[in-house]
Amino acid sequence: MNLAATGLGVAGTLGVVSALAGLVVPRGARAAVVGTGTALTGAAGVPAGVAALAGQSFSVTWPGLLPLSGVAFGLDTLGGLFVAVTGGVAIAAGIYGIGYARHGLQARATQAVFPLFVVAMLLVPASASVGTFAVCWELMAATSLLLVLAEHRRRPEVASAGRWYAVMTHLGFVTVLIGLVVFAAHAGGDSFAALRSAHLSGATAAAVFVLTLAGFASKAGILPLHAWLPRAHPEAPSHVSALMSAAMVNLGVYGIVRVGFDLLHGGPRWWWLLVLALGAASAVYGILQAAINNDLKRLLGYSTTENLGLVLVGVGAAGLFAASGQRVLAGVALAAALLHVVNHAAFKTLLFLAAGSVLHGTGTRDLDHLGGLRRSMPVTTGLFGLGALAASALPPGTAFVSEWLLLQALIHGLPAAGVATAVAMPLAVAAVALTAGLAVATFVKAFGVGFLAKPRGTGAAQAHESPPSMLAGMGLAAVACGVLAVLPATVLPGVAAASGFGDPTTGEAVTLRLADVAGTLSPLVLVLALVAGAVITLALVRGLLARRARREARLWDCGAGPMSARMEYTATSFAEPVQRVFDDVVRPETDVDVDHHDESRYLVQAVAYRRRVPDRVERRLYEPVLAAARAWGSAGRSLANGSVHRYLGYGFYTVCGVLILLAVTR
Amino acid sequence: MNVQLLDLACGALLLTAVLILWRRELAVIIRVFALQGVALAALVAVLAAGEGAPELWGVAAGILVLRAGVLPWLLRRALARGGAAARETRPLVNVAASLLTAAVLTLLAYAVSPPLVALAPSPATQAIPVGMTVVLIGFFVLVTRRRALSQLVGFLLLDNGITAVGFLTTTSVGLLVEAGISLDVLLAVLVLQILTTRIRETFGDTDLDELRELHD
Repeated sequence: MNLAATGLGVAGTLGVVSALAGLVVPRGARAAVVGTGTALTGAAGVPAGVAALAGQSFSVTWPGLLPLSGVAFGLDTLGGLFVAVTGGVAIAAGIYGIGYARHGLQARATQAVFPLFVVAMLLVPASASVGTFAVCWELMAATSLLLVLAEHRRRPEVASAGRWYAVMTHLGFVTVLIGLVVFAAHAGGDSFAALRSAHLSGATAAAVFVLTLAGFASKAGILPLHAWLPRAHPEAPSHVSALMSAAMVNLGVYGIVRVGFDLLHGGPRWWWLLVLALGAASAVYGILQAAINNDLKRLLGYSTTENLGLVLVGVGAAGLFAASGQRVLAGVALAAALLHVVNHAAFKTLLFLAAGSVLHGTGTRDLDHLGGLRRSMPVTTGLFGLGALAASALPPGTAFVSEWLLLQALIHGLPAAGVATAVAMPLAVAAVALTAGLAVATFVKAFGVGFLAKPRGTGAAQAHESPPSMLAGMGLAAVACGVLAVLPATVLPGVAAASGFGDPTTGEAVTLRLADVAGTLSPLVLVLALVAGAVITLALVRGLLARRARREARLWDCGAGPMSARMEYTATSFAEPVQRVFDDVVRPETDVDVDHHDESRYLVQAVAYRRRVPDRVERRLYEPVLAAARAWGSAGRSLANGSVHRYLGYGFYTVCGVLILLAVTR
Repeated sequence: MNVQLLDLACGALLLTAVLILWRRELAVIIRVFALQGVALAALVAVLAAGEGAPELWGVAAGILVLRAGVLPWLLRRALARGGAAARETRPLVNVAASLLTAAVLTLLAYAVSPPLVALAPSPATQAIPVGMTVVLIGFFVLVTRRRALSQLVGFLLLDNGITAVGFLTTTSVGLLVEAGISLDVLLAVLVLQILTTRIRETFGDTDLDELRELHD
């Protein structure tokens, strides 16, 4: 038993024990016990993952545990990375849950399922056979569905979100299962080792890849299959949203990398061009929807689609480079993608937990009704600000490092051979750049409109700071963001080990210097320079101002009386220019009602402005399918007229028909 | 001798199934069903004598208690609570046509079972078509009879047929498996009995064909 196996075993045991504790502990202490247990589960998962990254792999099989396939677990470097990330997120979410779940989430089922969800997510990357993988995956889907539905008594939208999630996650599971079963049938065994040594024909391998890609992409919230994500993430309790958005969606990426690179050993170029195109489209579309969305958690949900899109751009580029034999560039691209997975997990945990804190303190997620939280919720405001900076791909932020690495890979891929690469790479660079720009706008909106200025609603006016346990959970995620932003070299060797292509950097502590490609970045020096620059500027401004005499006066308000919160930028108005630029893409539906005074047409009494931005992909792709299903259902209704005899008769006639067919044809 | 006893038991099984189709009085139907339970137990007993397996004798005794004792008793109790509606007055297919259909179903069963018999030809497997006929007739009763109680009998007939086929093909279904199946049937009957009572309390009748509002 090495550390990886021990850690994973301890994590599993702790998770199951916490789940049982959630069932038996009295209501008052339940949230604290389960939260602590979940955090400990995560804390045991992290060393297991890190040990696996350091090269301690293990594998165990219990052939008798599950009928037909048995159970096989094993952890290698790739799985270890995802186990470590999931464990880290679980620590923060567990601690946060101690305070957060005390408010209406103490139901036995909810509390018991929460640690099980973490255990399932830890076991998915540790599965080493198709059967085990399917069981763990399904356990993860089922537990997360129950958690999404936790607040169904309070809000009717939860039920609809749960339905969408249930249907899409299971459709995705079905495609993954079909793909892997076909793979296992051709390989003649269902362990990953057998799959790895199998030789598939081109068509079969392509079918397996496309099927599994569809399922895994839907789990990762990638474009045509993203519809569940902006629904389920906002409606789940916030610490569950953090786990789903920062840990669960990653496993979609894990699946694509595991099947594409490890089990199928790479493939032809078009596979990876497909992945790259899906990723780029998701990145741009996701951040665009986030930029014009007013619901704080929905915005974060769309941002998840964006970030996972960027990850897939990296994965696709890595596959493309590997297919054309450039292993160094492939290593850079895959390391960038996996580093982005880690970074995204850190800042998305922080952001979702902070959004939950806002929801807890104000009772609303609507940015148009927030604002002015700086005074009443100072710690949450500071932490969300840090998270927003981390997410917006600007120099001192966390996402900047991985996106820089990704751009390095894409730019250096330009001279690479092949027309497809030469066309795809500039487009991918453009998509990444556009995404980064829109992400800045999005998070400026989320932070500026949501937290600064004056409160625009009663909930925001009466906001109160969250309890210490919630702040501690967020603080932990913030520390992770800081470390990843300033010292990425601490995690890069591990990430590079997981990618399987070797470390692309020269391994210096402070500066990232790419080994075989020209490119250097030193985040720590960059941060120090920025801080120094800001301090000097501030000191200069203060010094110059101090010379002039100070004069206190009211701000110029055009003589319209004291400025009220209604004069502020709202989220809608802030996003309006972006919406106008991308009018043809998002197709917003706006409604302006103007009421005039009875006496004069020239005097306006009230103006009502309504805007709805329907998800266009959803409208074009899902609504026809849903309509067809509904038509099919109503056509089938004539078969079911309510008579029990008729229903039994269908069975009887079918049996007799089959028997007659047998008797006649044999 | 043994073969003749086996054929006799199978004949009784088939005859009782047809009798259930023929009679309209629910009380008589239940009595015939009990007789069929005896025939099934006898069938298993004959097989047990042939095999010389002591646990098969146990299974035979269990079947006798359950299918000729407990289940008919439960059905009679449900009937006694029902009061007036003790006749299957208007089956969806009338009795004459039902008997003809039973003949057709018997032919069908004989037409499809040769491959099963050919797997391991023996006097026991030669009788498989009888078991299948009982299954089909049970299904037919389910489809055409209106009273909840006769539907219940149809379901039990189906199960008797399945049990008969099981014993005729393999001779020794494990004791545990048989006990599990029997427990299942008992539970199903208990649930359906409660359901029948509830239907009568709510609608004043147990004619299932009247219950057409229960659909989407």
